[in-house]
Amino acid sequence: MSVYITSSGHFLPGEPVDNERIEVVLGQVHGKRSRLKRRILQSNGILQRHYAIDAEHNTLYSNSEMAARAGRACLEQGYISPSRLDMLSVATSQGDLVLPGFGSMVQAELGLADIELHSAHGICSSSMMALKAAYTACLVGEHRNALVVASELASRLFKASRYEAAGESVDFNAEFLRWMLSDGAGALLLETRPRDVCFRIDWIRGISHADAYPVCMSVGNPSDPRDNRTWQDFPTYAEAEAAGALLIRQDVRLLDNIVKLGVDGLLRLMDEKRVDVRQIDHVLCHYSSHYFRGRIFDMLTQAGAAIPEEKWYTNLYSRGNTGCASMFIMLDEFRRTRDYQVGDTLLCMVPESGRFNNVYMHLTVVEE
Amino acid sequence: MDHRVSSGLGQACLQGLLREWFDFERQLGRVPIIQRLERGRFTRDDYLTLLLNLRQQVIEGARWITRGASSFDRDFADVRSEVIGHAQEEHRDYETLEKDYVAAGGELEAIRTGQRNAGSEALHAFMMYRASQPNPVDLIGAMWIIEGLGQKMATDWARCIDDVTQGDGSYTRFMRYHGENDEAHLNKLYALIDRVCQREADATAILRTARVVGRLYALQLEEVEHG
Repeated sequence: MSVYITSSGHFLPGEPVDNERIEVVLGQVHGKRSRLKRRILQSNGILQRHYAIDAEHNTLYSNSEMAARAGRACLEQGYISPSRLDMLSVATSQGDLVLPGFGSMVQAELGLADIELHSAHGICSSSMMALKAAYTACLVGEHRNALVVASELASRLFKASRYEAAGESVDFNAEFLRWMLSDGAGALLLETRPRDVCFRIDWIRGISHADAYPVCMSVGNPSDPRDNRTWQDFPTYAEAEAAGALLIRQDVRLLDNIVKLGVDGLLRLMDEKRVDVRQIDHVLCHYSSHYFRGRIFDMLTQAGAAIPEEKWYTNLYSRGNTGCASMFIMLDEFRRTRDYQVGDTLLCMVPESGRFNNVYMHLTVVEE
Repeated sequence: MDHRVSSGLGQACLQGLLREWFDFERQLGRVPIIQRLERGRFTRDDYLTLLLNLRQQVIEGARWITRGASSFDRDFADVRSEVIGHAQEEHRDYETLEKDYVAAGGELEAIRTGQRNAGSEALHAFMMYRASQPNPVDLIGAMWIIEGLGQKMATDWARCIDDVTQGDGSYTRFMRYHGENDEAHLNKLYALIDRVCQREADATAILRTARVVGRLYALQLEEVEHG
């Protein structure tokens, strides 16, 4: 049995927001322009992104609504009627509700009856975990098809008022992701038969290193590193927020590990003969920032495993870093707009910095 | 960045060495004293304990390198020169380490009379054993791990130690200085990999020694708690 990606779709809310307008939408913290913004944007290379909130901080699209729109766009381009879907597998970093699972909300929004449901929880790699769950369910013959959706609404975390509620000053680690993450959703349709020209999934492999590294990206820890409490340990949510425990943070000191572990995983897969870098035609890598692209290149070159630059594809700079949705949005745009031939191979990589989970996927372009 | 290693076997060996290094870094991430350092729960006493334990191995380090140099025969005279140069540069590093220990508040007598912990014993014994073999090309694997660690100390640990113990850099000179030179050492290692990887068996031996040294080094750091 083989499993194929036979359709894809995406949803990006509203008009693109350029670098000048980010702070107009998200707001100036304590009425002051950020002094870090320019430096971080220079490093990540992102030129525009989309937000599901407006400048008055009204939410224009909920996270589950964006997920449903991406799912619908995917189904509209495919051959499967929504009523014939067997499985819905969904990922996000943060749903609209804390409970129930995000998948339930997306199912309701899409109006899908009687499907098997799966929600994956995590950060950037959660979409790949949702994809793998759907892939394996199809591979063993449990289901004939599955819709996989990943969606992110990070901008709500970045409102100026959130930082103001956490005190006078904003530390670098808490501000870092404000200039990095944005909103959007992507969807893939899996089937156990090919349709037209589509992608066969050859394998998906995750390698997690949480046992060996501290947390690198998180929501729930207070600003004071000596304070061991997490957000729900505070007497009230107001106190948790005042302590900075509801801000999203990146421990930038640890970020370099993402490059090493990403390269390590690739060398491991080469060793296992799952992949031969010389045979790869297209690389789709969810690097969060342009800076890391160079670092990954250098290290792969040093290891004699370089993949030429012209084979790398990304839409990070124009669509933004949409966390777990990024890979699906990238694959969707690649599928619809790029030149590729039957027989071409794609290597997809999602190195997640949350606590260092890396997921790799190998695809081959096939014809029905 | 250019290809630093050009031969096919050399590149395969380098890929293996990189993986051994990444694996070693993960092992370090599981060692309690290093976890405390990374989580900001590391005290000045922890640092003194760390230095006291490291010193016993650093002081012996020069011995296995010089022993190894003498085990290379005439066919490896060029390799021997490199190894001698390396030993020459590092064989008195422990003096800087001892000064750091004193600057951080330790007693010179305590570090000088310190014993090797169980991990240091195992590492030292293994290194002396390998260095005594004829033409011990696999020592490249040991140097790879230990030089890599020097860089990690300089770029990660030294700053982290100063941060969490409110230091001003005056007692982390061993770690900082070590890293400055190790970049050059690593470049020499790349050249050595090309030079000594002539048969499949050479690469296998290098990777095996890298793996054993990584494991024993991590053991040495685990044993810091039981000194």
